[in-house]
Amino acid sequence: MKKSWIIGVIITVLVLTLGTMAFAQEKPGEGMYFRFVTHGGDDPFWAVVQQGAYDAAKELGCQVDFDLCGGDMSLQLKRFQEAVALKPDGIALVINDDVAWDKPVEDALAAGIPVVGINNDDTEGAAGNARLCYIGQSEKRAAYTLARKLFQEAESKGIDLSQAHVAMPVEVPGANYGVIRSSGILEAMQEFGITSYEIVDGGGLEMTTVESRETSYLLAHPETTFMIGLGGITTDRLTDSLKAAGYGPGEIIAGGFDTTPATLNGIREGYVTATVDQQQYLQGYFGVYVLFLHAKYGFTPNIDTGGYLVDSVEKIELIETLSPLHIR
Amino acid sequence: MKNSSESKFFTYRVINTLIMFIALVIVFSLFTPRNIFISVRNLASLGKLVPDLGVVALGIGILMVCGEFDLSISSTLPLCSYIFASALFGGLSPVWGFVLALLSGLALGFINGLIVVKTRMPSFIITLGTMMFWKGILYVWSRMMPTSIRTFIPTDSLFQKVLTGSIGPFFPVQTIWFVAFAIVLGIILHFHRFGNWIYATGDNQEAARAMGINTNLVKIICFMIVGVLCAFAGCMQSVRLGSFAATQGVGSELRAMAACVIGGTSLRGGIGSMMGVFLGILTLHILDNGLVLMRVPVFGVNAFIGLATIFFVLLNSYLDRKIK
Repeated sequence: MKKSWIIGVIITVLVLTLGTMAFAQEKPGEGMYFRFVTHGGDDPFWAVVQQGAYDAAKELGCQVDFDLCGGDMSLQLKRFQEAVALKPDGIALVINDDVAWDKPVEDALAAGIPVVGINNDDTEGAAGNARLCYIGQSEKRAAYTLARKLFQEAESKGIDLSQAHVAMPVEVPGANYGVIRSSGILEAMQEFGITSYEIVDGGGLEMTTVESRETSYLLAHPETTFMIGLGGITTDRLTDSLKAAGYGPGEIIAGGFDTTPATLNGIREGYVTATVDQQQYLQGYFGVYVLFLHAKYGFTPNIDTGGYLVDSVEKIELIETLSPLHIR
Repeated sequence: MKNSSESKFFTYRVINTLIMFIALVIVFSLFTPRNIFISVRNLASLGKLVPDLGVVALGIGILMVCGEFDLSISSTLPLCSYIFASALFGGLSPVWGFVLALLSGLALGFINGLIVVKTRMPSFIITLGTMMFWKGILYVWSRMMPTSIRTFIPTDSLFQKVLTGSIGPFFPVQTIWFVAFAIVLGIILHFHRFGNWIYATGDNQEAARAMGINTNLVKIICFMIVGVLCAFAGCMQSVRLGSFAATQGVGSELRAMAACVIGGTSLRGGIGSMMGVFLGILTLHILDNGLVLMRVPVFGVNAFIGLATIFFVLLNSYLDRKIK
């Protein structure tokens, strides 16, 4: 009895001592400061990226600040210069231009400030920009994967793909994301022998205008076999446009990007075959971790966060659970 | 004075827009493939989508006659939509959430109007500021996340049917709301004493004041009309979409102004007609719709809308000079 009492005391003391030591231990990133310089702003996408970065910062005990420049390139350049002047332990930068970021990034690296790319990269990758590595979706690969899924679906339905027509509505014609995504789709089209396509001006970010343009296009182009939204809003409006134009589920094979409630509902109802989840939470989360690991050990890994195809009810349920938490 | 605003109901500016509207309808009816412009599906689609911007543009028309602009509609609309969605999540019934959103729209319009009349600064600048301010508030508050409201307002619920349902298989209820607002606002503008005050305030504020019109109050009420219409359109749109989206209403301020200008409303105030604004909204939409249906490359559609806006401004100013 006495022996077990002594063992009990020893265990309690050990647990308390180790617990106190663990509690008192500094988090590995304490004292470090990282900054995100992004072109984001007026869409829900960036709320999730920020959540990922803040969660990682909380785990590591470091400090993170975010610049959202709302697509204003000159403001983003100014914010980057300001960030460099602050001498942080690292900067995560959205490289949304092939030329504008070349010198600022070189200068920052020369000044000893590590810069990693997130979300958008130079179209030539490391050959086009001196950033240490890139964390984000490979837009072209994601679009290619999505298009393959849709074309395979058509094949399984016995559709003659040599006669197929692909419509690709985009919110902002000429914007980097649309250009790169459409190039991925074109690559898949070549593989499947599809030659007819059109990139459609969705008319901006306003939902009703996009829906109106898509509906009108579908009514005027009965030859349309596939409709692939190149952005989140053009994908969001697909289901209602297809309904308004008189199509039933699956009559036109549709897909796109992002996981808004209407897009997920479209998958549920059978109007949308698949959508790509960029998993942008990881761009913020890994952005912080890579900067931390670089500061500590010099690691510079490239990480592809995207290309998660949402094409089943199970995947929708997972996203709907995590979406209110700003994780998906 | 009553006669003067009644006579403005159907002016030569309205006739210009009406002629253009009829001409476009004829051209698109005849020349779109398989005459799909006049197909039931296309007309139903127009009837469902036009009111989203149309309801707001009716208010902008009144405000422009009063000599003011409101650029903040692109923020008021999604903010009220978010208030509506938040109210639903907070446990309010759709009706009370809707009422709360309308009251919020009224309040936002009141704030715009109050700042404009008290500072005597151009409404263009003031509402540019409030547009950015409310947008910032909305983005921080909503974290820009689209929020589904389908569980609170299921398809085929009474609330959904009243706001965005359809009569028969195709006729959208939104059209009835749009026409009803146009009639009510038309009666106020052309057949009510308040309409005379709006014209007088927009035409010559000093003279109107000398006549005993409280021009500040008139302007504030006009801003409040715009605010409440934004709230209505925001809720109507979010019920149709089944969700709140932070991008609701983006760019609507310029499209609403373009519709009013096409409808013969003067940018300087004091000139305009509810019939003109109504036709301007329809013309703007059928121009967009008809050109896409005619298989014009979609990238070129905006160019035609821009041309139409410039054409109507030049035509009306030319006719103004001729008549004077």
